[in-house]
Amino acid sequence: MNRFNRHVLSAAVSAVLLGLGGLAHAENTIKIAVAGPITGPVAQYGDMQMMGAQMAVEQLNAKGGVNGKQLEAVLIDDVCEPKQAVAVANQIVNDKIKYVVGHLCSGSTQPASKIYEDEGILMITPAATNPAITQQGYKMVFRTIGTDDQQGPTAGHYIADQIKPKQMAVIHDKQQYGQGIAEEVKKTVEAKGVKVAMFEGVNKGQTDFSALCTKMKSENIDFVYYGGYHPELGLILRQCREQGFDAGFMGPEGVGNKDISAIAGPASEGLLVTLPADFSADPANADLVKAFKDKNQDPSGPFVMPSYSAVQIIVDAIKGAKTEDPVKLAGYIHKHSFDTPIGKVAFKENGDLKEFQFVIFKWHADATKTPVK
Amino acid sequence: MLEFSQQIINGLTLGSIYALIAIGYTMVYGIIGMINFAHGEIYMVSAYIGLLTVTALTVQFGVETVPLILLFTLVVSIAITSAYGWTIERVAYRPLRGKPRLIPLISAIGMSIFLQNYVQIGQGARDLSMQPLISGGWRFGPEDGFQVYLSYMQVLIAVVTVGFMTALTLFIARSRLGRACRACSQDLTMTNLLGIDTNRVISLTFVLGAALAAVAGVLISLYIGKINPFIGFEAGIKAFTAAVLGGIGSIPGAMLGGVILGLSESFASAYLLTEYKDVVAFSLLVLVLLFRPTGLLGTPEIEKV
Repeated sequence: MNRFNRHVLSAAVSAVLLGLGGLAHAENTIKIAVAGPITGPVAQYGDMQMMGAQMAVEQLNAKGGVNGKQLEAVLIDDVCEPKQAVAVANQIVNDKIKYVVGHLCSGSTQPASKIYEDEGILMITPAATNPAITQQGYKMVFRTIGTDDQQGPTAGHYIADQIKPKQMAVIHDKQQYGQGIAEEVKKTVEAKGVKVAMFEGVNKGQTDFSALCTKMKSENIDFVYYGGYHPELGLILRQCREQGFDAGFMGPEGVGNKDISAIAGPASEGLLVTLPADFSADPANADLVKAFKDKNQDPSGPFVMPSYSAVQIIVDAIKGAKTEDPVKLAGYIHKHSFDTPIGKVAFKENGDLKEFQFVIFKWHADATKTPVK
Repeated sequence: MLEFSQQIINGLTLGSIYALIAIGYTMVYGIIGMINFAHGEIYMVSAYIGLLTVTALTVQFGVETVPLILLFTLVVSIAITSAYGWTIERVAYRPLRGKPRLIPLISAIGMSIFLQNYVQIGQGARDLSMQPLISGGWRFGPEDGFQVYLSYMQVLIAVVTVGFMTALTLFIARSRLGRACRACSQDLTMTNLLGIDTNRVISLTFVLGAALAAVAGVLISLYIGKINPFIGFEAGIKAFTAAVLGGIGSIPGAMLGGVILGLSESFASAYLLTEYKDVVAFSLLVLVLLFRPTGLLGTPEIEKV
């Protein structure tokens, strides 16, 4: 009994101490949660997101922060798992953080966004492109990237107008993001009279695609669109090329990552990818690009600048609206436009950007990319 | 017809890997009646050792002779992975010998989670990838039509698998230790009473199972070329299915089960839809178990008096 009491006492004391610590901290910093994959198969994209957000926090702090307070980026790992994302969102609620830059994968952004909406937390995703996320009638949810119903048609029109395949295959990974964009592409090309001879899903984490490659080869498929992420597409490319299947491949921004060349090697040469425009090539961003390069970081990844912009929008809104209340900030963001590294941005009622452009790039075996005219 | 033979090649390659892992499950079950859920993780560890060894040899030491790299990698991987197998048995299962069956099972699941996290911390949670060590192969069929492709790597997988399986079968059938293994699987207590060190035999079982998983791990890191700390789970489930399909406790059953599972996945992907490949593979398992509850080559367990 005695021992039990002592444990209770020590737990209570430490809880009080921790609580006080938290309070003391909250007074002079503004915390922004950056939620995305730090570990797991798609952590490379998380790197881009964290890198952009941290650079924004650093530069804004150097300019004196906001309202005399310093910003603090709290990096949280959701592994791109929907289940984990819910736990992360609850953690953010419990930690009383009021702003979130994230999540990254559409599948994990969707369940987390409901929690933020219910709890009045401002969320800006720099990467999740599935249209359904902003179709829930939420007021607290924004994104600084385009959607798959813009990206899908961009890819679809290019395929139908420039490549003109006779027998096309559309493959996806059965996830919200991958299947969503695959369906958009299928719809667009079919409306232009391209025959989609195969529409199939593979498993996330699958490693053997030899049977699929054989099937595409025997069906005389001459072009493949893949909706999903690079780990699976890398292996599909490698295994299909080995079997002598030489059709062209195309994918969304989820495959546009240096690792696709590490996995597929020479087979990644010529892969077409739709990506946000390369904001790091914009002369207006020259100083920012230099700041990244000074830290030996690569600013050309698709989510770096959108993530930087998300942080900047939160801070500009706090300054402009003269409040830290996330609900009022959301209202302010809906009504105003912001100058960011991804251009001058304004938001629609549902939280999507009014304008966003996807550009088609050709990928090379040495992991570089060149824009396609 | 040509497509069909290509699908058979695809299925057999996949099946060989499943079979190599399945043997580890089946041997442990045959002798101590326990399912070693950490076995998939053993395979994952060996895939890491394989990939790291090959990279070290080619990049660090500039070795270029492929057979030498292969042999050295296999030896290193089998040695280290067997040590893992032995240690796991010693730490997680031996202290629980004679306890109700559920207890070592939970211990095995714990071991599996431990190994996954251990590799994740040691090697990072990201994918490691490697370009093929052995590339190229033979093409058959018309120049302008569908050509069947048989890669050197696929042939290597088949040859190595058949080689190690024959060695194992001979070992179990002919050697003194093999006879002790068979005796243990029939009646552990009685074998012990007759003066055989059953603990040693059980350790040996784990080491042999781990060695075969090591071979599978090295082959997969060479064939697929992309690994992460989570590959053990899926491979483990598939291999376990193969072992049950063939009749758990039976070594030829595990080989047969692996090949059937590989082929059914390949055919489901080819003639149905890729998303149905696991559905077909597991429906097959349910069907076989409905009509033959002991699996294809299993023998019914006789209640020991």
